[in-house]
Amino acid sequence: MKVPLDRFDLDVDYEAEHRVTGLFGVSGSGKTTWLEALAGLRRNATGRICCGGELWLDTERGIRVPPEGRNIGYVPQEHLLFPHKSVRGNLLFARRRALRRGVVFERAYANVAEVLELEPLLERSVAELSGGERQRVALGRALCSGPSLLLLDEPLASLDAQLRHRILPFLKRVRDAFEIPILIVSHNPTELLALCDEIVAVREGRIVASGRPMDVLTRPEVFSLAESQGFLNILPCRMAGHTLHSSTVRLGADGDGPQITIPRVNAPEGESMLVGVAASEILVSRAKPEGLSARNRLPVRISSVREAGHIVLLAAQLHESLPPIAVEITADAMEELDIGAGEQAYLIIKSSSFTTYSEHEAAGQDPD
Amino acid sequence: MSDPAVYSAFQAVRSTVLWAAMSTVLVMVPGVLLAYALARFEFFGKKTISTLASLPLVMPPTAAGYLLLRLLADNGPLGRHSIGIDLNILLNWKGVVLACAVMSMPLVVRTARVSFEAVNPRYEYMARTLGHGPVRVFFIVTLPLAGRGLLAAMILGFTRAMGEFGASVVLAGNIPGRTQTLASAIFSAQQSGNEKQASILLCVALLVGFTAIFATEWLSRTRVQTGGRSESST
Repeated sequence: MKVPLDRFDLDVDYEAEHRVTGLFGVSGSGKTTWLEALAGLRRNATGRICCGGELWLDTERGIRVPPEGRNIGYVPQEHLLFPHKSVRGNLLFARRRALRRGVVFERAYANVAEVLELEPLLERSVAELSGGERQRVALGRALCSGPSLLLLDEPLASLDAQLRHRILPFLKRVRDAFEIPILIVSHNPTELLALCDEIVAVREGRIVASGRPMDVLTRPEVFSLAESQGFLNILPCRMAGHTLHSSTVRLGADGDGPQITIPRVNAPEGESMLVGVAASEILVSRAKPEGLSARNRLPVRISSVREAGHIVLLAAQLHESLPPIAVEITADAMEELDIGAGEQAYLIIKSSSFTTYSEHEAAGQDPD
Repeated sequence: MSDPAVYSAFQAVRSTVLWAAMSTVLVMVPGVLLAYALARFEFFGKKTISTLASLPLVMPPTAAGYLLLRLLADNGPLGRHSIGIDLNILLNWKGVVLACAVMSMPLVVRTARVSFEAVNPRYEYMARTLGHGPVRVFFIVTLPLAGRGLLAAMILGFTRAMGEFGASVVLAGNIPGRTQTLASAIFSAQQSGNEKQASILLCVALLVGFTAIFATEWLSRTRVQTGGRSESST
């Protein structure tokens, strides 16, 4: 597919294999254009677009399905909730199409309202909503339309840090509750790591890498695009218990991984949530660490070592049910440590280095 | 009503309100569609059409009336001899309505165009991704979002028609009880020295004008809240 732009042309050829695909790149790399071309909003797009067996664009054969014929759920960055409608009115906006597609609308609507916790907002006017609520309503509107593809444009970019911690779990829920393919555009590696099965990195309108999230994002040419923001590992976990000042969680979506200590969070035991830790906050030791104040000392196997300029990115496998953890160390430290792929090591993480992504308030913790 | 001055003033005001309403109905549909086309699309001759639609604003109304008269005269391009049927517009109420419609066209088109331009086109794209075709999107998204501006355009068009004098006098004359309007009745009353009638009509004209401007000011001030480009996303 090709789309002419001001400074360069978007020219990409890609076939997604997994259900949740991320488009990664810095601002102005052409990712939003890609999304809009899929939605049918770029009339100058040429080439071929096919989704789930439906042909949406084939310039050679003169096929160009208009946006209303593509059956997509589009969530733009600025949400674009209709200001002349209530929240309910926005959610009902695509009822006609959903019914036409054979969706049992009442059930889909109730399901969406429940998953995104929209019930208390239904009668509100759009102008009264906060940023996070807008995001949830925009997601809900897209899902109510019974889409066969969900397009999310920078779903967390317009939210402040605190809200991001609240909305990410909702995105995760949407991902798990609705069996539809999703394409997420983001300049933030954290979101993509947490949500995607595969990632495509774009620079100046060309694909520079694609594959499993961790593989793609730790590549030097891709990592350099994300460098300014650093790397944040996002891991699923389940609440295991509390002490006075801290909480313990078991890593893994089912809570079958190792136990770690994090700052206290007021979530009930067994609740599933997400924890984050920056790659630069993690220490690596070859020997088993003794007599340290840091609460988390985790045995791992190093699965890959990649140099990206003056820093080195290690991917560390903690448990088979978890994605690898990215660890960032300097090239000098790497030289001294002298560790290679396949070797055993220990990760040392202070409990205060963890942030939590939960709908519950963290107790006295700065989300940043 | 027994006073003939009051009665004829009443009659002029009643006819004027009726004709102005008819001319507003006549001008709103093409005016709004033209305004939408000018606000949203690029096409050949756009500037020329835009200029033509605004022309009555700067032309002397009598000149516009005379132009219409020439067009509709028996041997004019739209006259009986050219199109084969007699539209019977000259020197009756239809002439007044047509003159009013033409003279209020620029105000309607310009005001409506501004209100369409204030609607973020991305709302229209968004609605299309939710399965609605372009015509439906116009009715369920664009029109409601531009609604207050369009209402202001309608009020301005109506009041412009209420005050029309020059073009309708040329096209339809100033016949009391048949084509006399508020404006032409004031002129006649003043010319014949009927100060009482002129004063009554003057008060009506002031009241109508004040109400209209007040309403459009209010509409344009509150329009911001119904979502235009200025609406922020966070």
